[in-house]
Amino acid sequence: MTTKEIIISTKNINKSFGATHAVVNLDINIEKGDIMGLVGENGAGKSTLIKLLGGEHTVDSGQIIYENMPVSWKSSAEALKKGIAIVHQHPLLVSSLGAAENIFLGKEFVQGFFVDNPKGIEEATKLIKQYPIYADLDLEKPAREMSAGEKEVVEILKALSYEPEILILDEPTASLPKDETETLLKLLTEINRTKHITIIYISHKLEEAFEICNKITVMRNGKNIGTLAKDNFDKDKLVKMMINQDISEFYPDKTTKTGKILLEAHNLNTNILRDVSINVREGEILGLYGLMGAGMTELVESIYGLRTLKSGKISVNSKAIEHPQVEMMIRNGVFLIPADRHQYGLFPSFTVSENITIAHLFSLFQEFLIKRSRENQAATEQAKRVNLKYADINQSVMELSGGNQQKTIVARWLLQECGILIVDDPTVGIDIGAKRDIYKILRELTSRNKGIIFISSEINEIIGMADRIYTMRRGKITAELKQEDINQENILKNIL
Amino acid sequence: MANNNNQILNYLRNRELLVLAVALTVFFSVTSQRFLTLSNINNILMNVSISGILALGLALIMINGDFDLSFASAMGLLNLISLIFIDKGLSIWIMFPLAILGGVLWGTMNAFFVVVLRMHAFVATIATWTLCRGLIYWINKAKTFYGYYPDIMTVIGRGTIFGFIPISAIIFIIAAIIIYLVANRSKFGRYIYAVGSNPDAAEYVGINSKRIRFVCYMLQGFLIGLASVILSSRLCSGPATAGEGFQMTVISSAFLGATVFKPGLVNIGGSILAIFLLSIIENGQVMLSVPFYFKYIIQGLIILGAVAFISLKNKRSEGPAIV
Repeated sequence: MTTKEIIISTKNINKSFGATHAVVNLDINIEKGDIMGLVGENGAGKSTLIKLLGGEHTVDSGQIIYENMPVSWKSSAEALKKGIAIVHQHPLLVSSLGAAENIFLGKEFVQGFFVDNPKGIEEATKLIKQYPIYADLDLEKPAREMSAGEKEVVEILKALSYEPEILILDEPTASLPKDETETLLKLLTEINRTKHITIIYISHKLEEAFEICNKITVMRNGKNIGTLAKDNFDKDKLVKMMINQDISEFYPDKTTKTGKILLEAHNLNTNILRDVSINVREGEILGLYGLMGAGMTELVESIYGLRTLKSGKISVNSKAIEHPQVEMMIRNGVFLIPADRHQYGLFPSFTVSENITIAHLFSLFQEFLIKRSRENQAATEQAKRVNLKYADINQSVMELSGGNQQKTIVARWLLQECGILIVDDPTVGIDIGAKRDIYKILRELTSRNKGIIFISSEINEIIGMADRIYTMRRGKITAELKQEDINQENILKNIL
Repeated sequence: MANNNNQILNYLRNRELLVLAVALTVFFSVTSQRFLTLSNINNILMNVSISGILALGLALIMINGDFDLSFASAMGLLNLISLIFIDKGLSIWIMFPLAILGGVLWGTMNAFFVVVLRMHAFVATIATWTLCRGLIYWINKAKTFYGYYPDIMTVIGRGTIFGFIPISAIIFIIAAIIIYLVANRSKFGRYIYAVGSNPDAAEYVGINSKRIRFVCYMLQGFLIGLASVILSSRLCSGPATAGEGFQMTVISSAFLGATVFKPGLVNIGGSILAIFLLSIIENGQVMLSVPFYFKYIIQGLIILGAVAFISLKNKRSEGPAIV
């Protein structure tokens, strides 16, 4: 059926880490010149597979065949030399060095004893010139001043400087804003088209995979579930392959009735916000949507008392709050789950239990001292509610997986009955199973007349979850969309 | 039986320092006949009372990520001022509380620079330390200050009950119990550890981290003042170097203490254990007539060893690096 030659394939490979079978009897064929998407839930084995292909791990059994020869890489350096380059999820650049220096790190051009910097820049310029979209990349700017997208591009250029046959990318767009994502995707298509480099592209964002890939392979529980070709790309089908469940069950049902107004913000002004007014009602999920930097996070943080208001009024349960402060808002039942759980959520040296109770010590314990047994009991109850997977409530929170860390923070804010829960992009970077758990919890709260403010960076998620949406653009509210008006077209019209 | 062994091993995990303390005590008892005598235990307790109180204060501020280099000299300055006023006839019942208040003011000043003006704690307290030394030399003209004091003056510093338990040690033990309970069992203590663990996240759960850090500096100041009272009462003299000897021992105790109970984190229990251990080592050296410079060599090695242990531990568990 195909005339294309297979560049790399695996025959029945297995890889275990302790009791975890990361890759199970896996067969996969990758054709030369393809851009192949690799999708699946966290823990499906995608990262392990690419590490096996790229020589970072060795197989327990089975065979990897590269350019018609069975291979067993001794190291990633050997694989790289033979033409397999991996770009990892988090850029590993030396922050004080510029793009050119980072690209040629470890294989600097030398003149006698000294590094020949002009030559490096010249070579890097040659490399970059082949890709006009990045023509204005400043090759001497140190990595610490680069945007997330620029860093990613430097990583890719670094990989390209080895002139690979196969370029493997592990979620390159995970931390990029929309505009940078689009340029990066264009770059990848360019690389594939002009240099005939085969690309393996891991992503959680299916839309991106649809845009650039000509094939998508799904993994689940370490197995190859199947491959769809470009003409058969279908989101419902893919999700079903990924989670072994129908997508219609993915988002819980929306609310049918809402009650009185719980929170009202009137004409808020800050450095970023311009005359923003919103309200949240009992029993609804209120969505906030806009491009990155449009002010959604600033809005909820201003309401929560983390930012200073220039002017404006906030009231909770019809009670005016003069100068909102976090402690005061918490006492009034307004809770916020921040977007960046590592920076703003977790206490890494605390146990799971301590992470759950930290926001409510004053209501849990009237007395001066904390009673461990009562604390653990309260934490365990909430852990159960969010379906948290842990070994011991007193284990370190850093031992949990990313999704479970996020659930720990959700559990923290369930411990006390909230009035309004603000969630800022709660599902970013977590797998589909954990996402569904979080959606269910939010709906359980609205069914008991709580109000939710929901920020999402994914348009499908906001459409699937919100009962009402405020769209934002450059610090202003641009539209209020009722349930029946919520669709992609209406949203995009108001955010761009 | 195997189960029993496991339980013991489990208990000893993260408590290696405790084993070391017991081993050293046995070692010194065997090698020196004078080590395990009432008068020597009394010596150790006397010694640990001042350094112990200072160690509690330093641990408190280090838990939430701050630091102080000025505490020993601040104690020396308070000592000198107390002695001058008592010599001039001020009652110790007025002067000693004033000295403690002076300590609180010192802590407040450090807090102002570090917390309010957001200066680096290391830099700010090197400055206040230097400033303090200058003040001491100015006041006592670089000579030791002597004066005339009432008999009751020495009770706190040198007095004992039942003839061998130093009153100063009882003060330290009470302070240690209170600070331990506050830090490890109270809501306020949990907030201190929270600020040390992740100050940004602390803001999101309604903890005012600046307020917590400020209060900890004030509490440390209180303890510096308390230590200065014991020092004045014991020395009854104001040498220009008063307090300096405690500085490295106390700083060592914080790092050494961070190797036990909550490995990788400065903690109160660890600091208390560490300061006892350091006092035993120091005393044992004297008992074995080891030359004085070994004290510094051993202290240097202890800091290096402790910090290496902590960074290895943190690297393995990928937890936060406090040091």
